[in-house]
Order: sequence, then structure tokens, then C-alpha cells
Amino acid sequence: MRTYLLSRLAQLFPVVFGVVTIVFLLLHLIPGDPVEIMLGENAVAAQKEELRRELKLDRPVAAQYVEFLGGLATGDLGVSFRSREPVLREILSRFPATLLLAAASLLVAVLIAVPLGILSAMRQHSLLDHLSAFLAMLGLSMPNFWLGPLLILIFSIQLELFPVAGFGTARHLVLPALTMGTGMAAILMRMLRSSLLEEIRQEYVRVAAAKGLSRRATVLRHALKNSAIPVLTVLGLQFGALLSGSIITETIFSWPGIGRLMVQAIDARDYPLVQGCVLFIALCTVTVNLATDLLYSRLDPRIRYG
Amino acid sequence: MVPSRAPSRAAACYDGRVKDATRIARSALLLAALALLLPGCAPKLPIDEGTLVIALPGSPTSIDPRLATDAYGEQVLQMTHAFLIKRDAAGNPLPDLAESWEERSPTEIAFRLRSGAHFHGGREVTSADVRYTFEWILDPKNRSPHRATVEKILKIEAPDPHTVVFYLKEPFAPFLVGMARGIVPAGSGARGYTPVPGAGPYKVDDFQPDEAITLSRFGAYYGRSPAIAKVIVKFIPDSNVRFLELKKGSVNFVLNGVDPDLLPAALKNPNLVMEEEAGSNVSYLGFNLRDRILSDARVRRAIALAIDREAIVRTIWKGHADPADSILPPGFWAHAGGLPPLPHDPAEANRLLDLAGYRDPDGNGPKPRFTLTYKTSQNELRRRIAAVLQEQLRQVGIAVEIQSHEWGTFFSDIRKGNFQLYSLTWVGIADPDIYHYAFHSSQVPPEGANRGRYANPELDRLVEAGRRELSRSKRKEIYRKVQLLLLRDLPVLPLWVNRNILLRDRRLAGFTLTPDEDYTSVKEMRIAGQGRDAAGKRAP
Repeated sequence: MRTYLLSRLAQLFPVVFGVVTIVFLLLHLIPGDPVEIMLGENAVAAQKEELRRELKLDRPVAAQYVEFLGGLATGDLGVSFRSREPVLREILSRFPATLLLAAASLLVAVLIAVPLGILSAMRQHSLLDHLSAFLAMLGLSMPNFWLGPLLILIFSIQLELFPVAGFGTARHLVLPALTMGTGMAAILMRMLRSSLLEEIRQEYVRVAAAKGLSRRATVLRHALKNSAIPVLTVLGLQFGALLSGSIITETIFSWPGIGRLMVQAIDARDYPLVQGCVLFIALCTVTVNLATDLLYSRLDPRIRYG
Repeated sequence: MVPSRAPSRAAACYDGRVKDATRIARSALLLAALALLLPGCAPKLPIDEGTLVIALPGSPTSIDPRLATDAYGEQVLQMTHAFLIKRDAAGNPLPDLAESWEERSPTEIAFRLRSGAHFHGGREVTSADVRYTFEWILDPKNRSPHRATVEKILKIEAPDPHTVVFYLKEPFAPFLVGMARGIVPAGSGARGYTPVPGAGPYKVDDFQPDEAITLSRFGAYYGRSPAIAKVIVKFIPDSNVRFLELKKGSVNFVLNGVDPDLLPAALKNPNLVMEEEAGSNVSYLGFNLRDRILSDARVRRAIALAIDREAIVRTIWKGHADPADSILPPGFWAHAGGLPPLPHDPAEANRLLDLAGYRDPDGNGPKPRFTLTYKTSQNELRRRIAAVLQEQLRQVGIAVEIQSHEWGTFFSDIRKGNFQLYSLTWVGIADPDIYHYAFHSSQVPPEGANRGRYANPELDRLVEAGRRELSRSKRKEIYRKVQLLLLRDLPVLPLWVNRNILLRDRRLAGFTLTPDEDYTSVKEMRIAGQGRDAAGKRAP
């Protein structure tokens, strides 16, 4: 296990290195000048050149890249061009909001998907199964830019249960988490249903039933655990994606997450901040994937690492 | 042998545990639902607690007057900082911290500061603070985006605590425009998002970028202390959400933040009222004069005549805009009255295009005379306007290909001259010297904002004279000639001036809606039914 963990951690370096290199090059390839955006059109050319020199943007891209890697090696992500705040502080100030929303969305998805997935597998072709299939289709086909305002209309304006937008209390979290969790729940629900149906048809389930175990106990005790691996895979991938922020949901609910921060940084051509955000997101994704892989062995003792 | 149907002991025990777990899960879910529902019971609205909640479409990147450049930052600063001088809607300078000023010579201007103005930290504002603020902006190492507006300053002296004297390198008529800047205490560094104290009517209690800024009344403000004790400025990027917040009452003041399409729905709410006044943000269509087709003034005039601006104002802006005839807004002191109109005249447009040698190959058929590209940002409203312009130009045989880019790419293309047509809006024009910056032949980017690469020696001469001339009436005459010249040559086509629309709670009063969206009069606002308390009186 320890060897496996170390080898996976070692693999992390080329992945992160690849990601930051590609982003660095792409950022310097796309049109747009951070100096023009920072100083505005008012500034004269000499002032712009002065700032370009100060920010070391006048140097060849290769030299800038080496400097960036040097900073990275010492844990220095630089200072945001836009806000003049250290990049790490900017990211860490937004990460709690992103993590909170990601975790709450995941919880919503699990709370919806697991009971419905189990019930529709246990009662295949029943009215409930058809209804959950319909709900899954609805959940998948509703884009967040539509579902978000719809939830606000119903739960904030009509029922006055939750705030329209903002960040701060648990009540602020409910609608954005529902918006993001619903689509995810639909995928998880269908995945769990099909995986569970496959398990229910296995010999050991029939043996358990023959031994007199109730259907509910058979499914919950034996089949569910064995059908969880593909579900966990999807869950891990989606959680990783959630940690990179969602620009649409964050915009609708005025949620101060990493997604909005990164889009603003791209608009302002704030190179250090974009690079820092991408690095951070890549690290989160790789970590979540690693955690998911490690969980496999907890669910299925046949899976061993090392 | 018949197998027993009775469950084994272990199975029965497990089954029982499952039932228990199910019961617990059901109870937990019920409790969770109740917990969510209970706090939602009719929460008190901010206005009931005496709080003004303003929604802005974006978060400022800085609330330091030496660094802030976006409109949101400026609007917050109008509430938190006292400025050396202010400007009225027509662009005329007004006293603020400086109660008077005197031009001792064309290159020496002395300001007399009022006494009794204090920073939020408690210290009195003196000439040393004014000097420090402008010297900080001038210092290249501080990278202030406002350095260019004050670059004509040679030196600043503070002979006594209430007098500050600016010496200029040469006579410069727009100098006073650069003096409309918030003053910070001497020695203040720039610290990212950390607010710098001001001497305005409100002080910053908390600033959370992309969330909100909370302001509270500053008791020692030199003028009449605000009636409303607490102001929250929320940054809400989505127009629909701003509308819904207003509808719910969790926001009670939105200036130019609700799409025209949503205004009728907003006005159905009996708690909301709308105020509308002329604006100052002028939208225009830019031409690339180095383009083979658009370098011909007849083609540019034909495009101008083919565009039905009245129809766009009526349909897209729902009447909440006025057609523009200049990049200076009507009401601005240098705006020239009686400029020749540019009516919608497709027949004349067709004639001019024929004259220019671009005959329609198949009459009214599908083949165009020529094709132009039109660049715009990804803003939804801008893309709709692009589609309308495309259709109107198609009527005279000009095909338009719309290219919509994210802001950084769009702006970069415009600066580099990589466009044929584009549309943008001039915001916050403070002096007619904008004509130097936008049309003088020396101001092609990266030097200035002559993005269309217009070059006319006559205009160069006029705008150079305009920035040297100190007499307001003579400047007005110079800029009248400039506006006539630009209407003849059409390096840009002024399109419309958006009206300012304020949606506010019916109980709010006292705000003065100005063309330049100034938030200074927030300090004059009051909530009907809530008496002015002791702190709302003039500070000693």
C-alpha cells in the first residue's frame, strides 16, 4: 500500500508539470495584453513599457517560464497583476466556498441518487422505476443556467424559504447545491440502478434469498456494496470537477468560488493568478482521483495495492 | 426436504437493524426538512432594519482611489472617500475637500482645503495628504493607472496645512479633471483588497471581493452626516438575479442593473419604483480606416444612413436610450448643439454605395455588394445589437459576419487594428480632451485610443489647441468644430446614449440621479417612516 501510494504521488509530478506547462504556453499564445488591461488606454506607451519591464513581461517566453518554474519550486505562486494580492492568498480565500459547494452538491446528489437508484433497481419496471427514469432524464436535460433561476423563483420568491443569492449561511448553500447536485444525481442514479440490477442477478444474491434473507436486506447488505465501485468512480470524477468551480452556478448565485475567480483572471490576462488556479485545480483533481482509487480497496477486499 | 421459510437468527437480526436504520434515516430526513423550513419563515427585509442594499453588476478590483479604474470601484469610492474636487453632470468642477481654487498662472494652481474634514481614522485631512496622494500616483514604481491623467504635474507644494499648490510642466486645460480623485492619508500603502481610509460619509466595515462590501455611517464626516446608518453593496453578476433580489426586497436599490426587457415585470411589484434620467455613456460604431472598403468616406456614410438607430432604441433598449450625434453626451458643457442629423435613409445609402463603386451584383437578390466583419464582446445584449445591425446593413446589400469574442481577445484585436467594424461604449467622459486621445493621429495604439487609425491634420491642430486653451468659451468653439469635422469624416458613428434607470424601493428617497451614475448622493438618502436619528445631523 505504502509503495503504491508513493508511486502514485510520484506520478503526480509529471501530471501537474504537464498541466502548468500547457496552461503557461496557452496563456502566452492567446491575444490580450495584461499591461493594457491593467493601465487602461489612458497610459502612454512609455508607461506601458515601463510596467512590462517591471512585470518581466518584456523577456522571452522561455525565460518567463523558467522563472515561473523556479517560483513554483519554492512554493511562490507570485502576486496577482489585478489585485496585487499574493496568488496563494487569493486562491485560499476562495477555496472554502468552492469546497463547501462541492461537498454540499455531492451530498445532494447522493441523497437523491442512492434511495431512488436502489428503489428503482429493486422494483424494476414499476411505476417508481419509470418515474425515477423520467426524473433522471429531467435532471440531465435541465442546464444549470435554467434550473438555478427556476429554483430561486420557487424557493426564494414564491415560498420565501431561502435567500436569492449570496454566501455566508447554511441557507445560502441550499439552492446552489441543489442546482449543481441535481444533474449529478441523475447520472449517479442511473449508474447505481444498472450496477445494482447486475448484482441482483448474481448467484450469491439468489443464495442469500434462498437462505431466507429478505430482499431488502440482500440488496442493502450484499449487492449495494458490490455495485458501488462504478458509482464511486463517477462520484470521484464529478467531485474533482466540482472542485474546479462552476462559473455558471457561481455567477447565478453570486458565489465567491474559484470558477469566477479564474474567469476574471483570464479576462484580465492575470497570468500568475490563472496559472495558480490551474495548478491548484490540477492538484485537487489528482488528489481526489487518488483518494477514490484507495477507497476501492475498502469496498472490495479483492482489490489490493502494493 | 423442504427448506425452512423462517429467516435465520442472524438474518432476522440484520433485517431488524435495517428497519431501525431506515426509521432513523426517515426521522433524520424529516428533521433536516424542518430545520430548512423553520428559518425561512418570513425573514425581516433589510429596509425594515434601516439598511440600504445596493446591487452592483460586478466586484471592484480595487477600492483604493489611487488604483481603482472600474466603474464599480469608482462608485464605492464616491461613498467612502472625499475627493479634492468633484464634477457635476455637465463636467464642471465642484468643491469637495477643496473649498476653492485659484489659477495663479497657467501653470500654477492653488487649492484651499476646508477645515474640519477628517479621515475615518480620526486625523484631520491636510495639504500633506493631498500632496502624498498625487505624488504616490505619479511615482512609476506604484504602477497607478491614473498616472497619465496627472502626468503634466511638475511639482506639488503644501505651504500650509490647508493650501496645496500644483505646478504644471505646461498649460493644460484638462488638469482639473485629474484632480477629481479620492484623497488618502499620507503614508498609506496599497495593500491588495485592504481598504484605505478616506474622509467620505461612509467608512468600510468589511470588503469581501465578489461578495459584498459593508459600509457604516462616518459620524465625523465634514458635511451633513448620512441618514441611513448602514449600506451594503452586493456584487451580483447575473441580471436576472439582480431583478429577483429586487423583487424579493433583499436588494432595494439598483442603478442600470436590470435589463430593459425585465423592467415591466419589475414595475408590477408595488414596492418598487423606477426613475429615469438622461445618461452619459455613448455607444458608437467604430470603422477601421485602413481597411480598403472602409477607407472610403462614402461607404462609412452609407453605413451610417443604413442604420436605423431609432428602431434599435425602440426594440432593444425599449425606448430607454436616445440617439447620439457626438461622442460627448447631450448636456455636457462641450457638446455642440444643432449638429447635422444622420437620418435613416436606405435609398441614399444605396446611392452612395453605387457611387463608391460597390454596385449590388443582383439587385435585391442574395448576393451582397461586399462583406464586412463586425467584432463584439460576448455580452448577450451586444450580440443582439450586432444581429440587428447585420440585418439593417443587409437591406442595403452589405453582408456582415459577426464575430463575438471574450473581452481580452476582443479588446486586443481592436487595439491592434485587427477589425473592420466594432462597437463599444465611451464611459465617464470628463473632458473634451477625449478627442485628442481618441482621434489625434499620434494616438494610434499603443499610444492612445485612435483605434480606427484616423488621421486628419485639421483635427490634430484643433485638439492640440483645445488642450492648451484655458478659456472655457474658446474651448467650446474649438470642440464644436471638432464635432462637425468628425460628423463629416465619420471615423466612428455615434449610435445612442443609454438612459440611466434606477429601480428602488418605494420607501427610499433623496437620491439624485445624474447622467454619470454618481453615487455621491447616497449620503442624502433616507428611508420613509424612519426618523432621522441623532447621528443624522451635521457633525460638529
